[in-house]
Amino acid sequence: MKIFIRLVILIIPIVGFIFFYNLLTEDKFYPGANFDRFNVPVFALDDITYQKIYTKDDLNDELLLNVWASWCITCRVEHGFLMELKQEGFLITGLNYKDESTDANNWLNLYGNPYNFSLHDIKGSLALDMGVTGAPETFLIKNGEVLVHYSGEVNLAVWDNVFYPVIKENKMFR
Amino acid sequence: MIAEISHFFLVTASGLFLLSFIFSTLTYKTNHNLEILVSRVFSYGSYFVFISFFIYIWLSIQSDFSIRYIAEHSNKDLAVFYKISSIWSAHEGSMFLWIVFLSLWSQFFNFKLPQADLLKAPSIGILSFIIFGFLIFLLFTSNPYDLILPIAPVNGADINPILQDPALAIHPPFLYLGYVGFVIAFAYNTAFLIKGDLDINWEKIIRPWSLIAWILLTIGITLGSWWAYYELGWGGYWFWDPVENVALMPWLAGTALIHSLYASSRSNSLRGWTILLSISVFSLSLFGAFIVRSGIIDSVHAFANDPQRGLYLLLFSGILIISSLTFYALRLPKLVSSNLIKPKSKESFLSINNILFVTAIFAVMLGVLYPLIFDFIYEERISIGPPYYNTIIAPIAFLSSIFLVFSVGSLWQRSSKLFFIYSPLSLSILLSIFIACFIAFKLQDFEWWFIGGIFSGFLILIRYLLLAINNISKKMYFNKASAISHVGLGILLISISINAGLSYEKIINIKAGDSFQDDMYTFNLLDFDLINEDNFDSIKAKFLIKNNDASEQVFYMFPEKRKYFIRGQITSESAIQITPFKDIYITLGDQLDNGYWVVNIQYNYFIRWIWISAIIMCLGSLMAIKERSVKK
Amino acid sequence: MNKIRKQRLFNVFLIICVSSLGVFFILKALNSNLDYFYTPSEVLIANIPQDKRIKIGGMVKKDSVDRNGTKVIFKITDFENTIEVHYEGVIPDLFKEGSGVVAYGKIRDKTLIAENIFAKHDENYMPPNIEISSG
Repeated sequence: MKIFIRLVILIIPIVGFIFFYNLLTEDKFYPGANFDRFNVPVFALDDITYQKIYTKDDLNDELLLNVWASWCITCRVEHGFLMELKQEGFLITGLNYKDESTDANNWLNLYGNPYNFSLHDIKGSLALDMGVTGAPETFLIKNGEVLVHYSGEVNLAVWDNVFYPVIKENKMFR
Repeated sequence: MIAEISHFFLVTASGLFLLSFIFSTLTYKTNHNLEILVSRVFSYGSYFVFISFFIYIWLSIQSDFSIRYIAEHSNKDLAVFYKISSIWSAHEGSMFLWIVFLSLWSQFFNFKLPQADLLKAPSIGILSFIIFGFLIFLLFTSNPYDLILPIAPVNGADINPILQDPALAIHPPFLYLGYVGFVIAFAYNTAFLIKGDLDINWEKIIRPWSLIAWILLTIGITLGSWWAYYELGWGGYWFWDPVENVALMPWLAGTALIHSLYASSRSNSLRGWTILLSISVFSLSLFGAFIVRSGIIDSVHAFANDPQRGLYLLLFSGILIISSLTFYALRLPKLVSSNLIKPKSKESFLSINNILFVTAIFAVMLGVLYPLIFDFIYEERISIGPPYYNTIIAPIAFLSSIFLVFSVGSLWQRSSKLFFIYSPLSLSILLSIFIACFIAFKLQDFEWWFIGGIFSGFLILIRYLLLAINNISKKMYFNKASAISHVGLGILLISISINAGLSYEKIINIKAGDSFQDDMYTFNLLDFDLINEDNFDSIKAKFLIKNNDASEQVFYMFPEKRKYFIRGQITSESAIQITPFKDIYITLGDQLDNGYWVVNIQYNYFIRWIWISAIIMCLGSLMAIKERSVKK
Repeated sequence: MNKIRKQRLFNVFLIICVSSLGVFFILKALNSNLDYFYTPSEVLIANIPQDKRIKIGGMVKKDSVDRNGTKVIFKITDFENTIEVHYEGVIPDLFKEGSGVVAYGKIRDKTLIAENIFAKHDENYMPPNIEISSG
């Protein structure tokens, strides 16, 4: 009888522990990650330097689309990692979100520019169509199709656990 | 530079706590000098934590945006008060505060406990281990001193205007102080289990610490509920949100603990159970920290995060809880006393209420976890609504008030005769049935839980009133602390029932110059004021309200809608008119195209009394600390 | 078997009976108060009983909000399908077109008669006020 009570006292927390351990180590456990695929919507936006108008066809390559803004502190934090990605040869396009173009250009001049170009989405209309709720967010795009949508800061851990498996699976960036 | 030094202080502190823990393991064979060293090193560790935190507050006031956390959660234009409170507005800073409070409690304990106490070195050792573990968690997975390199941003982000509120800013510190305070009972009793010396009178040592922790937790929960009431615009005070629930579980367990501590100091029979409770309270606090910070639940209060944090917290809490329970299981046969609990003795009623409280904790925990389990097994998303908690908690509250009232006139370790015709118990039952019937008759339309709540609330009130009259007139010993706390409980039960049973709301369409009348008041919407403040624009409606009864009392109310510049965020500021028994609560909705406004009018009955009763309970418990110390 | 042992056995038996009764009632209350969470696409395929309260989450569709007195009609979208929602009452401050929303209520003819609407709290990182609104 006493043995039984002693076992019960120990088993309850151990079962709870195992349950939570399984829950946390499930590979899908990145709350910001969304793997639902969808096509890049139709759009026409200036870049932040007002040199060219870009459309859906300009996102037809293999690329990362990064939502950023000069007012966004976390974008500032993420910036260093994006520069590293650029140096390793990844193509990153910026989606400048609800930001003034002068602020945005100053920001890139001050800290460095990881993007090949940045779309100027001052109204947030493309962002809305793509389900963006804030900044920073990052999309992995292949042939005009979004494979990964990640909300929040991309860092090494997120890159290794969320982006890299999909990149490998789809044989991208070779 | 200062940030780096302060960061280094925190690292030093973790080293000192590790040292203190290692020394404490060496004191197993009593070595007095080493024991003093454990206590000393522990003090230094705590001081380093405090200094580091004070520097962090200073950095925050200085708006040092080279520190990532401060840049992300504070702003140059904030008032100093909110610059400080922004420290605990997100994960890293609030974890830091958690650790500061952990060290604060432990250092007080270290300071107060005489060096001669046999369990001092081992319990300080356990505390060092706990603080060390959390410091490692802070430094490696969520460092508040992370820098933004090479150039700091010019200005920080703005914190959400909804979060710039005094009650919101001060309730987390109280909650954390309460949660963390139960660590003393946990550490001391685990030390007791490790030593296994049954003669040690741990009840006396941990009782005041647990009472203070309980009071602070109660204040924290009350402040949180008050904030939700006036700020969220829903007119509710408790939403059964998962984060509220994880605060409620340690509160319920803590309530059981402070009662059980009292009982086990009077009779040996509940000792084993009390130790289990003292371990459970802090374990539930750890569970709460894990749930909120691991991101496994979706909640308005949950902190955004990554899975690494959850795993570390799970692992560390798991080690603490399971090892403590292992020692418990090992010592259990010695702890269980041979004398049985006599039926109808005071401790028998206390035990029944203990079981009821555990049932309540189990039910609340299941409500928090069931969506996770469901998602895990069926991959379907569900949520548990408030009706679940109400159906469970209402009968438990009812039953435990009955047993509480039974326990009032009963005796320790002796069966007592409770029911004779002229007993105070029969009298209070009769009187409360009378009151409940009277209210039911007045209302005609009522539900059973409502009458049950009224009945049990009055039952408690009347029983303690009779006890007070009897004992004071006969100049007998009268436990004022207990009576005051339980009177608070009685008022709480009555207020919650009346609030749930009588409150109602109506949604109206009204434009400036119009009026709206119901059976109690006439609402005249006079006009709107446009106000420009430093950081927001606001539209303020001016209501002139007239009481329809003979008094014809007249007053104004100003519900308002604000638009903040920095985020363009819109918030509603409800207007609240407080009267003794009800609040009138007006929230401004949207403006329609034709110039009409949607306005929500609520009558919230007895809502003030819910918080007043919490304050009464805290006062009672405060007196209990001073109450004549327990006899053995 | 001595008296104490007998008494103890009886106590254990009593505790087991009472606690299984308690667990039974808790589980019963739990099962009758489950609110399922659906996306608009799932609502269209799932067979939802009319008396069952559900939650639907998604975004408020652009240009779909129609106000009439205290009544509001709008559409929730998951970018594939939409569900119309009818609601009477004060809508939350954070409710706006293009923002996240959860509606709670019963389904009638592919329409949600909502009892409650919760606007999702904005993400941590929200933009400063810009004169041109996004709607």
